[in-house]
This record gives sequence, structure tokens and C-alpha cells, in this order.
Amino acid sequence: MSDDKEKLLDHLYDGIQELDNRLPAWWVGLFYLTIAWAVGYFYYYNIGSGPTLGQELREEQNQWALIQAKNPTAAGGGADEEAVLAAVIKDESRIKHGKEMFATKCLACHGPLGGGGIGPNLTDNFWIHGSKPTQIANIIRTGVNDKGMPPWGPLLKPEEVHSLVAFVKSLKGTNPPGAKAPQGNEEK
Amino acid sequence: MAEKQVNSQLEQFSYDDGIVRKFFFATVLWGAVAFLVGVIIALQMANWKFNFGLQWITFGRLRPLHTNAAIFAFAGNAVFAGIYYSSQRLLKARMFSDLLSCIHFWGWQLIIVSAALTLPFGITVGKEYAELEWPIDIGITVIWVVFAVNFFGTIFRRRERHIYVAIWFYIATIVTVAILHIVNSINLPVSIWKSYPIYAGVQDALVQWWYGHNAVAFFLTTPFLGLMYYFMPKAAGKPVYSYRLSIVHFWALVFLYIWAGPHHLLYTSLPDWAQTLGSVFSVVLIAPSWGGMINGLLTLRGAWHRVREEPVLKFFVAGVTFYGMSTFEGPMMSIKSVNLLAHYTDWIIAHVHGGALGWNGFMTFGMLYWLVPKLWKTKLYSTALANAHFWLGLFGIVLYMLSMWAAGITQGLMLRGLDPTGHLLYPDFVETVTKIAPLFWIRLIGGLMFFTGFLLMIYNLIKSISGAEAAEAVVHSEPRLSPAPAIGVKPGESPHRIIEGLPAIFTVLTVVAVLVASAMSLLPALLSEDLVEANPAFKPYSALELQGRDLYVREGCYLCHSQMIRPTHAETLRYGPASLSQESMYDHPFQWGSKRTGPDLARVGGKYPDLWHFRHMMDPREVVANSIMPTYPWLYSQKTDFGVLQKKLSVMKSIGVPYTAEEIEKAEPNAREQAKRIAEGLSASGVNVDIADKEIVALISYLQKLGRDYRNMTAAPGGAK
Repeated sequence: MSDDKEKLLDHLYDGIQELDNRLPAWWVGLFYLTIAWAVGYFYYYNIGSGPTLGQELREEQNQWALIQAKNPTAAGGGADEEAVLAAVIKDESRIKHGKEMFATKCLACHGPLGGGGIGPNLTDNFWIHGSKPTQIANIIRTGVNDKGMPPWGPLLKPEEVHSLVAFVKSLKGTNPPGAKAPQGNEEK
Repeated sequence: MAEKQVNSQLEQFSYDDGIVRKFFFATVLWGAVAFLVGVIIALQMANWKFNFGLQWITFGRLRPLHTNAAIFAFAGNAVFAGIYYSSQRLLKARMFSDLLSCIHFWGWQLIIVSAALTLPFGITVGKEYAELEWPIDIGITVIWVVFAVNFFGTIFRRRERHIYVAIWFYIATIVTVAILHIVNSINLPVSIWKSYPIYAGVQDALVQWWYGHNAVAFFLTTPFLGLMYYFMPKAAGKPVYSYRLSIVHFWALVFLYIWAGPHHLLYTSLPDWAQTLGSVFSVVLIAPSWGGMINGLLTLRGAWHRVREEPVLKFFVAGVTFYGMSTFEGPMMSIKSVNLLAHYTDWIIAHVHGGALGWNGFMTFGMLYWLVPKLWKTKLYSTALANAHFWLGLFGIVLYMLSMWAAGITQGLMLRGLDPTGHLLYPDFVETVTKIAPLFWIRLIGGLMFFTGFLLMIYNLIKSISGAEAAEAVVHSEPRLSPAPAIGVKPGESPHRIIEGLPAIFTVLTVVAVLVASAMSLLPALLSEDLVEANPAFKPYSALELQGRDLYVREGCYLCHSQMIRPTHAETLRYGPASLSQESMYDHPFQWGSKRTGPDLARVGGKYPDLWHFRHMMDPREVVANSIMPTYPWLYSQKTDFGVLQKKLSVMKSIGVPYTAEEIEKAEPNAREQAKRIAEGLSASGVNVDIADKEIVALISYLQKLGRDYRNMTAAPGGAK
């Protein structure tokens, strides 16, 4: 026996013996500590002043809303968007930026060259929801629910949306092979 | 049989080791299957092409086969081998009935074979670790009862007055697994291979994870603790460290484990307080779990030098250490803030494999190596090979866990990453997957190392056993127990000693502990008014959508996609407002999922046009570059079973889904009509084949239904909350 002060019980099961060592103090302490923590944690979240999951979420959303309110363009669609977009659509670097994003986010439905597929053709003169840069930006942000255009507003930054608008505007008249038939109203 | 009475005092008997040898072989065989299928699906995660376009071995169908094989076939047979070997010796009695032992063995193997023959065909209930369909569920119940009768019969005939701690754990295992299995598997059949759980949505989730979590507790933990209490002191030749600790940690574990299930449902639409209960009971479980680890490791005091030489002890020490790690990691992951990051990621996968490979695997391997010279007239062929198995296995597990920790934490952080203006840093879900894809290869290497070690063991066992005779049964003589129970304890003995001498009372107390904990943790939530607030905006699935949903279940989509938008800012940006409990109120079974290899689908309906889904299921990479999802070409050639829909709707009605008599009556024509509309729409967008009667259309109808009622509710005037 490693420690002859330990008490060996007179149990014998198929040759297995048992010592009667006391419960390790740290183990007992740990057990009580977790029980105390459990009571405190439950009390805080479900009886005391702790936030519910819903409150936690609203708090988080309010914080972001405040940040975006201080910086209106952060949410997109600020009052000066028309002027901002007028500059952006002429900026070659922004068109290039838009093209990169188009390849990962829009290509699947609008075709690699914007000629349409699952979604409408973006290269002709026909527009279902308007061809103004601000109109295009709004459609990208809010989507078209019953047509399966997802809202990108929650996912993309305002400047990313603007770059996409710039790229889409640059597609006009490119007439790629296999382009989809016109949809919507003709706008010159 | 070997029992015969010599005189009124002494009885002669021998142990049935033939049944142990049978379970021994079954453990090895099914272990090989479980690990091989694990390696295959790890390969499929690393590269989607490795299902070779075959529906039967696609990830969604093989993954349940892997988990069921690992838990019920490999670990199950190992547990039975260990229980049959140790119980006879601890109780000084041959098993109650050799016939029942035989029925138990062959019945269990038949269940495993049935699982292997149904899961690849997509025959599944769609609840994790409870996938097997109702005829097999009934088989499990019957065989479990056979096992229980055999086991308790042996206790009844025992020649040892008191029952040892290993037997306590076996008792807890047998009674609790029976309760869990029966309550969670109450399904109403539609046909021989299709049934629906009577619970729906949040209730199904609560019952399922009460079951799922306690399957881990009472199928993978308590029986293995029992095995540890027998084989560890036997192999070490040392007394168990503390009898008192055994008592305290046994009862604490049995009572507390039951409560922890809801930690699988944190940040869901389960009521807050039920979630918090799951969290706190998980943390309280640390000490009771560690009680087992301490008792195992401290039993080795004075024998540590032998751990260096003896592979059996190496496996036991590592196994118990993994147990200690897992039972610390689990509670940490149950704390809300940690869970927020870890849940739905590969961190969970790392955690379960620490338990399954490290604790269950290594304890089993140690036991098998130890049993060889006991069950056969032989000795282990090669200690060096066993040591090689140990180190390969250990490094395999470490590689596995490190890669999956890294993958889980990386993806978890990417999914919730926000830039300073509150926008998602990685808006495309697929970005977070391609980032961690290299780690899937590392995991595969880890799994292969573990598997290679296992193959070394098989070789070692074959070389040890081939040509060796089975060990002869030794005839023992022991006095029979006097029928009158000896109530009372010797001076200085714990009062617990009384119930150790009264196994019936002991069993009843265990059942009471489990039932009280189950009732208290389940009933308040199940009966709570705020669980599911009725809302007419949420409507049942149409017949075609229901059929599509069954396809979703058949293909195991829930194993990679969740349907539960958690209430956090990042999730609501990515997927839309947090999921409500009403949204899954007609979901028999619920499909909240437990892992996101792909994005959440709770609101995928209406997000993309039908044509998008049509192309996506044919080849996901056509619409999502770099997707790692497999292709589903068979959905385009297999026909939808319209004929069964009337029956399906009427079964659904009988479990509470409010279909009208007319909807049930016209289930088939309605479904055909809806399918025709979808097919016409697809045809108008350029799909030139007639697909109205193909499965893909039913699946599309289901996917488009997801979240539709929520959208309509919020779009309606005054509908938004």
C-alpha cells in the first residue's frame, strides 16, 4: 500500500479492493463553487437584472443603429447619394471593384457578363425597377422579394453597393452573347 | 448448465466467457466499420467529389451511419463485452440465461445490420442519434429488455451480497437508456419505413436533446465508468482510490446529467430560462464527472512506473484523461458566451471526438488488449505493436482536435465578424468555408492515423488469438446467499452499504433520480404557455412541401444546414430576424440542426428563384462559386411519390397538424397541381425538360416555403412585431 494510514475497506470484488479516502478538499470546493455559480448565473439571467436574449439582441442592434445614425452614409441611401453616385459611376477603380464583387455575388443569377439568366439582363435599355443609379442602389439593398433578388443591404457596405452600381451602369450596350430577352420598360 | 448444487452450502458454477468473446469480435468488426466510414466522410468534407455521385454514400446519408456505428455498434458491443465479463465476476454468478445472452448478442447485431441497410437508403427519422426507423426502434427496445432481464436476473442470482460500484453504473445505464430511447422514439408510422415523431418544433428539440445529451451520458459515459471501475484496478493491481468518492460522484452524475440537455439549444427559440437551466447544470457537472477521473487516475498511485511498460494502462490513463478534458470542455461550451461562438461549428466536432476517440475508443482498446490473455490461452502477440497503436491513436486524436478547434473558432469568428460600421466582414457564407477547408485535410490525416492504429490492433489481436484455444471455464464453488436480505451495516460503515445489499431498492432509487430530474427539466418547458404562442400566420406545409421536407430529411440536409436564426446582430444581418418558435410548430421532426457546414435555411424561401435552386441542387458551384456541397443529380430523375401523401397528411393530422378533411382528401391532386405550377415556371425560365413529377420539384417547393409565412406576416399591415 502506498500509504499505510489509508483505510482499506473489507470489500473484495473479484480481487478488487477499495480504499476509503476522504473526498479531496479541492474537489469538494469545486463542486460547491460550481453550485454557487449556477445559482448566481441563473438568478442573474432569469430572476435578477440580467438581460434576456431578446434584450441582448435589441441592445446590440441599438448600439449599431446609433453608430450608423452618426454616420448616415454607413447605412446607405443618405440624402446626398445621388451626387455621390454620379461621381462613383465615372470612377474606373470603383467600376473595377464592382466587377470583382459582381463575380462572387451577382454572376450566378445575372450571368458572367450581366446578360441575365435566372435574373434579368442588365446590359440592355430595359429596366424593371428603373435605371437611375439611386434606383439600382435601392434594389441592390432591399432586393425584390417575390422575384428572388435577395436584399444585399444587410450584407454589403454602402461603398460596395455603390461600386456595384458603377459596374452595372458600365454594362449598358455591351450586348453579350446569349443575353436574355428584354424585361420591363425601355429607358433611354 | 454448469450450475449444480453440491450441498446446501456450496454451489458450483462457471462463467460464460463465450458470450464475451462474441461481443469482443463484434466490437472489433464494427469499430472498423465506424472508423472507415468516418474516414470516408472526412474525405468528403475535404473534397465533395468523393461520394462518386452515388446517393447511397453521400455525406448526408453516411454521417448517420458513422455516428450510429460508432455509438451503438462499436461502443455498444464494447460495453456489452465489458459488462458480461465483469458482472459475472463481480456478482459471482453465471449470466442468468445463456439463451438470453445469445438473443441479446444476435439481436443487437441484427439491429446494427438493419441500420447499415436502411440509413444509406435515406430511411431515417431525421433526429440525430435516433435516426433509425420505428421497426428497428422496436427491435432495440425488445433487445434492451432482453439484456435487462438477463442482467437483473444475474443480480438476483448473485453470490456476492453487495454490489460493487461498476454494477451501480451498469444499472444506471440499463434503466436510463430504456427510458430515453422509448420517450424520444414515440413516432407514428406512415408506412413500414417512414414515421413522424409525435413531438414538433421546440418540443421535439427539447425531447431530442434530453435524449441526445443523455445518450452521451448513459450510453457513452456511465457504462464506460463502470468498465473503468472494473478494468482499471484489475489492470493496475491497486485498490480503488476512494469508495466515498464513488458514492458521491455516482449519485451526483445520475441526477445532474439529465438536466443538461438544453445546452444544445442555447440562443434558440427555447424559452430563456430553460436554456439557462441547461447551462448551469452543465457547469455543476464538472465535479461529479471529475470524480470518476480522480478515482481512476489516483487508483494508479504506486503503479505509474507500470504505465510506461503496459499498453493497457497507457490506454486507460489517456482515456480517463480525455474524459476529464471533455467533461471540462463541455461545460465551458455550455456557458452562453462561449456557446455563441462554438455552436454550429467544428469546435463541437472536436469536442465529441475527444470523447468518442479518446475516452470511449481508448478505454475500449485497453480493455480488449487486457481481455485477450484472459479469454484465450495465449498472450498478446506484440507489446511493441500495441504501443505503436497507442501513439498513432494519440497523435491522431490530437491532430483531429487541433484542426477542428482551429476550424470551429475561425469560422465562428468569421461568421460574426462586423466592421466598424456594423456590416458583416464576410457576407458570403462560402468564404468562411473555403477558409477552413484546408483544415478538413488535416482532420482527415488525424482520422487516418487513428484508423491505422486500430488496424495494427486488429493485426495484433489476430496474431495473438489465431491458433489459440479459448480459455477453459474455471469451476468455482461459492455459498449461495441466504434469501433473507441483511439489512444493517457494520460499525463505521457508510449507510450507503445498506442499499448496495439491496439491488432492487438501488435500482428503484436510480430510476427515481432519473425520472425526477427528467420530469423537472422537461415538463415545465413542455407545459409552459410561452413555449409556442399560437399564431394563425404560420400554416402547415402543403402536401408537396411536406413531401419535399421528407426528401430534405432523407438526404440528411440537417447535418450541414441549420434552420434556426439565433438572436444576435450578426445572425439577423446574415439571415433575417431571429427565428420564432411558431415557425417550426408543425415540424415533425424539428430540423434546427446542430452544425453549419452550409448557411442557415430558416428563411431561405423566396430568397432565390426556383431556377436558382434547380441549378444549385444539380451542381452547387453553378450558382455559388467554391461551394463544397455535393451534387444531387438523382433528384432530377427519381419520381415524387404522390400516392403516399394522403396518408402522410392524415398521420400528421393525428399528431396535431391542423389539416382540413379536404386538404387530406385532395392531397395528391393538390400536390400535382403545385408541382405543375413550379415546373411551368421553370420551363418559362428555360428548363426544357418535363420535371413536374420529379423529386427536385418537391424539394424546391419545401425550400421556398421556409420563412414564407414569417415574411407574409411581417409584410401584412400591422403584422410586424
